Amino acid sequence: LTRSLVPSAPAALRALPPPVAVGVLHTTRPLHTTQQSLAPLPPLPEKGGEVRHGLIPEEFFQFLYPKTGVTGPYMLGTGLLLYFLSKEIYVINHETVAAACILTVIIYGIKKFGADVAAFADKLNEEKMAAAVAMKNEAIQTLQTAIEEEKKEQWRVEGRSFLFDAKRNNIAMLLETNYRERLLMVYNEVKKRLDYQVAMQNLRRQKEQEHMIQWVEKNVVQSITPQQQKESIAKCILDLKALSKSAHAAV
Amino acid sequence: MNLNFFDQFSSPSLLGIPLILIAMVFPALLLPSPGNRWINNRLSTLQLWFINLITKQLMIPLDKKGHKWALILTSLMMFLLLTNLLGLLPYTFTPTTQLSMNLALAFPLWLATLLTGLRNQPSVSLGHLLPEGTPTLLIPALILIETTSLLIRPLALGVRLTANLTAGHLLIQLISTATTTLMTTMPVVSLLTLAVLLLLTILEVAVAMIQAYVFVLLLSLYLQENI
Repeated sequence: LTRSLVPSAPAALRALPPPVAVGVLHTTRPLHTTQQSLAPLPPLPEKGGEVRHGLIPEEFFQFLYPKTGVTGPYMLGTGLLLYFLSKEIYVINHETVAAACILTVIIYGIKKFGADVAAFADKLNEEKMAAAVAMKNEAIQTLQTAIEEEKKEQWRVEGRSFLFDAKRNNIAMLLETNYRERLLMVYNEVKKRLDYQVAMQNLRRQKEQEHMIQWVEKNVVQSITPQQQKESIAKCILDLKALSKSAHAAV
Repeated sequence: MNLNFFDQFSSPSLLGIPLILIAMVFPALLLPSPGNRWINNRLSTLQLWFINLITKQLMIPLDKKGHKWALILTSLMMFLLLTNLLGLLPYTFTPTTQLSMNLALAFPLWLATLLTGLRNQPSVSLGHLLPEGTPTLLIPALILIETTSLLIRPLALGVRLTANLTAGHLLIQLISTATTTLMTTMPVVSLLTLAVLLLLTILEVAVAMIQAYVFVLLLSLYLQENI
């Protein structure tokens, strides 16, 4: 059967119900008759098969439906049970009562807590998925923020020329200021040197004058002979007498 | 058809072939092995969550050296839990009602904890024989008492489990026999005994789970003292 399926896979494989398809794949794998081109497999179903009364698969009811209708399986069950009881193939003893009690407890527990437990299991799975989905969304969000930031940077690039002009003006002003400062410094330095020359000249003339005055005075003092001294003193005395006479007269 | 009430506890055999091994392996058939899917079906998810819960509870008081025991303690817990719960179904055989099996579980594990403690930290584990703050006069007597209590631990573990389960099963059999017998003569009293049986069944479910938990918890406590 498997050898006949292998050449016509995967169409025939997909026609089988999925659990059987997986089993077929696994049984044909060790045969190594062809390359493993039985993929892609149909995915496994998410939920299990439908069950009626928690025990009997739905397929059984569908199987008996054409011949016995809707009540068929129930009639079969009741008949079997009564057959076992009446022929004493199953004997009613104390275990029957114990069985009834434990079944009551089990069914009560399932009916009361079944939905809650199923919801809890679903919540565990949902949380797992939600964490992964949250990670994915966060990654997408980060990338979108990055895109927007990039667009903003591109818009900023357009204003680049204004920025450069402003910077150029700044620098030009700085250079101008620096140049003027240095010009001032040069002027001050030159003026200092010229002032120094002027001061030197003035000093020189002053010293020459002083020197000349001193030399003249020295020579004059040297040239005063004693006779001239006596004559000048006598003249001074005559002048003083004349002055005193005029003063007396004035008073 | 049992002639006496103790035949239910005899080890089952078919044509002379002992079936005890099948009875012990059967609970494992009920646990689906987690497949290599990321999101499992409800049963696998619940099973994984439950095993994680048990392992965390057992391993929190232990330090890193004790984590080597995680696998055996968790699998022991799952085994005892399922075996006890399955034994409540009618016409089933519970392996944990056999003293031989419970002692075979308790004795080696207890001995392992004892030898670990004596080998790695002998003075600390021997120090557990004397509680702190005892008056000097009482020390010899207390050491004898503590040694006895230490040596009796495996017996206690095994017999506790056996006695609880055996007693529970026996009680269920007796009361259900009473119910069956009284049904023909005094139906009302039979209904009363049926009510008692219902309550007893609920108790037995609780006892099954609690006994498994107590067994593993005590082993982990002995481990904490010695590791």
